Amino acid sequence: MTLSNIARGAVRSRVGAVVLAASVASLSLIAVPAVSANGAQGPTLVVYSAQGYDSAVVKAYNATHPGFTVTLNDNSTGPLLQQIQAEGNHPKWGVLWVDGATAFAALDLKGMLVKNSVPKNVKFNALGAANIPADRSFTPASLTVTGALCYDSSQISASQLPSTWAQLAEPAYQGLLGMNDPAQSGPTFPMIAGAMSFLGHYKKGSTAHALSVGKSFFTSLSKNGLVVNATNGPTIGAIQSQQIKMAMIQSSACYGSKLNGSFPTLAVKYLNFSVALPGVIGIDAKMPPAVRAEAAKFVAYVMSPRGQHVMQTGDPQGDSLFWPTIVGEKPANKIIPPLASAHAITINPYVWGPLESQINTWFDSSIANG
Amino acid sequence: MAITILNAPDLDETPRGESALSPSYRHDRRRRFSPGGVAIWIALTLLIIAPVMSFLALSVSPRMFQQGSEWFTTKFIGQAFQGYTGRGIFDSLWVSTLVSLLAVSIATTLAWMIHRTNVGGRRMWAVMMWLLLLMPTWMMTLGWSDLLQPFGAAQAVGINTRYLYHEFFGPMGIVIVLTAAALPFAYFIISAGLQGLGPEYEDAARIHGASRFLTIRTVLPIIAPALLSAIAISFAETMSDFGVAYTLGYHSHFPMATYALFNAIANYPANFSVAAVIAVVLILSVVPPIALQSKVMRSRSYAVLSGRTKPPRRREFTPRGRVAATAVVALFFFVVLGVPVLGAVGGSFISNLGAYSASGVHLTMRYYTQVFNPSITGKSLFAPLLLSNQLGLIVATGTGFLAVILARRLVASRGGWSQRVTDIFLLGSVAVPGVVLGVGYIFFYNLPFVSNNVVNIYKTLPLLMLALVASALPGQTRFMAGPVSQIQPSLGEAARVHGAGRLRSWRTTNLPLMSRVLLWGWLLTFTKTISELAIAQILYPPSQEPASVTIQSYLANFESGTGTAMTVMTLVEMLAVIGVAMLIYRLVTPRGWRRIGWSGVRS
Repeated sequence: MTLSNIARGAVRSRVGAVVLAASVASLSLIAVPAVSANGAQGPTLVVYSAQGYDSAVVKAYNATHPGFTVTLNDNSTGPLLQQIQAEGNHPKWGVLWVDGATAFAALDLKGMLVKNSVPKNVKFNALGAANIPADRSFTPASLTVTGALCYDSSQISASQLPSTWAQLAEPAYQGLLGMNDPAQSGPTFPMIAGAMSFLGHYKKGSTAHALSVGKSFFTSLSKNGLVVNATNGPTIGAIQSQQIKMAMIQSSACYGSKLNGSFPTLAVKYLNFSVALPGVIGIDAKMPPAVRAEAAKFVAYVMSPRGQHVMQTGDPQGDSLFWPTIVGEKPANKIIPPLASAHAITINPYVWGPLESQINTWFDSSIANG
Repeated sequence: MAITILNAPDLDETPRGESALSPSYRHDRRRRFSPGGVAIWIALTLLIIAPVMSFLALSVSPRMFQQGSEWFTTKFIGQAFQGYTGRGIFDSLWVSTLVSLLAVSIATTLAWMIHRTNVGGRRMWAVMMWLLLLMPTWMMTLGWSDLLQPFGAAQAVGINTRYLYHEFFGPMGIVIVLTAAALPFAYFIISAGLQGLGPEYEDAARIHGASRFLTIRTVLPIIAPALLSAIAISFAETMSDFGVAYTLGYHSHFPMATYALFNAIANYPANFSVAAVIAVVLILSVVPPIALQSKVMRSRSYAVLSGRTKPPRRREFTPRGRVAATAVVALFFFVVLGVPVLGAVGGSFISNLGAYSASGVHLTMRYYTQVFNPSITGKSLFAPLLLSNQLGLIVATGTGFLAVILARRLVASRGGWSQRVTDIFLLGSVAVPGVVLGVGYIFFYNLPFVSNNVVNIYKTLPLLMLALVASALPGQTRFMAGPVSQIQPSLGEAARVHGAGRLRSWRTTNLPLMSRVLLWGWLLTFTKTISELAIAQILYPPSQEPASVTIQSYLANFESGTGTAMTVMTLVEMLAVIGVAMLIYRLVTPRGWRRIGWSGVRS
């Protein structure tokens, strides 16, 4: 054996050792979670959440509440709801926390939410209280609005903007307006439902008239050159690239884009109404009592001043830009105007939630791809 | 050279000339029901069949998984073929057919130029092809979009791309990106085929007076398994692609089947039944190409590689011809790889890309700074990236191991129904979108019977690993099948005759010949695992986020600059891993392995 062969052999054995060590370290991934899945590390509360500040809240909660592990499934609303629906009668989620109440209404109707889960010692403001269902099965932990008119102040001045939704269909705004696709963007269905409800003067009973009036309205917007993009990002991008000058989207998206410096000339105007979009939190009724009790503690923490503070600082240029639903709490940033200026209306999620698929399918075929 | 084109083996139940009671026939029947075969089918059932079938069953029986009231209905089949959804299925079928033919034609030309001529920069083009393979289609689209969009990277350097932008956001752009994505699959399969093809075939044809065209016509059928395999996998990969359907397809109002499937489950409540019908169509659509491939491959043996295979001879271009050929190849790679990479990387350094600015373009490092100081509390890239690397290591190793076993079964010339079913099943699985696999895993592994009596791993990393292996395995097996089909069985038989056990005979004969394919197959799965989003998003265990999910949360949270910078950093990290893996291969393998270990994938 030559010297070079010996040296090569030594290198091979060292490289082999390093590779083996990396492999063993990776294989440990298989073992560790299997232990927790069997419950050897104690009960676990799994939070399914689409909020930008959720990891900050869970981390803060775990730091102050030892003895019970809270873990986080942080995802977009769509994948979370798909998982919950696929899990069916054997759910793994303990708490669901997403924007919009329609999915919660559907879960409540299936008996999947704990009734009376709203913390009792919390004093809600008017819009917070308006978004609590009669059976108190979910809690509005925050509030944004959808249907805020975001516009580029370098392209169009505030005085040139419409004051009402109806004016958006006028020739003066032809080709200037954009919005999101409800099949892609969670907050957009509540906006469409809210517009149908408001423009159709819906109070209660059949929604047929409101649907008819609403469809006519969105059809007239489409004829007036409405541009539909998938989500807030591409819609704001369309304003930035001057494809359009304004869009009806979620308030926090407008404020976030302005604050993070990506779109300094973006401004917000509220027309004759916008649609309240509560950040809702609910507890899984099918979890064991110990998990449900921990979930109730978690919700109470979220609604406490400490929890609200973590929510307002966890994602300062995104989801933290909400209006609190609790008396005495103020928005995190001065960019957010008084809630009264938003003219927010509330839709009944038990009425409009079941219509989501029908309305979204119509919108996709007639407006987005019409 | 011991190369033979054998007569077609008889595929009847009883081999010709043998009675049903003859010893060899009885032996054959025993082999078909071997414990190994049963173990493989159990593994495939747990990995792919049961979860996917759980999802597909919803197409006619929503009540089976509490997704509706009917035990049996056909109404969702009608719904799936109506309007927007029906158009999506039709568009996907013609686009996939066109893309697979384009990809194989271009790949064959490139493989011939790179492996059989003295075109300049051959080693670099092979590396470029790998980079193309590793790039996700959504990133390719992002790069093109960043470059061509109004006030994008091209406009930043004074190039008006408005016309190109509108053309790109349509069927043309979709076909370009999907062809670029399918091309590497076809290229590597065809390259491996070409490498096993010694120069003696061309010589023989030319000696018998064949023109250059006739020589090509004579020689190409010898690599028919590779060509057909390339067409089949290109078709299936294109059918199952979601990245382009979701980005280019959506924005150009050109619906595709995978987007229609996504759309069906995007609302709440999700319509899993219509999605299941579309998934069935996706899977069935790959039957014709695989049936053709299967028929051709079983009609004769294509075993042309042995220990005595001569290295191919290169065609020498004239100096001027060499420059021209090199320029053509370089231009090609610049268009399919350079343009989107320049767009994406350039875009991550431009402040407010895509936004009109009266003061012109501003370069910035802000997005990369934000990777280290994330604006969202608890959303750093590094822990997720470490986890993704660990997942990649396990998934790539497990997939490689299973893929070799399955590839051997797939190309077995005397197989029965088991091999044929494996064949159709594996390619059909390539066409299964990740979201179907992910949701199917929830349906199956969250069943009380499974979690109480079989295995309780829902919401754990092992389940995510299994799903990622299931996602990579069909493509990886097809990737291995070409090279495995060209290894002469006589090599292993010789080793067995000399007393080697089954494992040793494989290690000393097949492993050296396949070492490079195994390496690159491992790297392919490793990198795809890191960039995989659809399955990871659905199945990642709470508080154990992979990198792709973290990046997605930035992209979805009005932080697209930071998200793009994270994507670029992840790609750089993957390239570093590739470099390290290649170095390890060089250090630990004998020189002989590197010489004969499938130079078709030479880097």
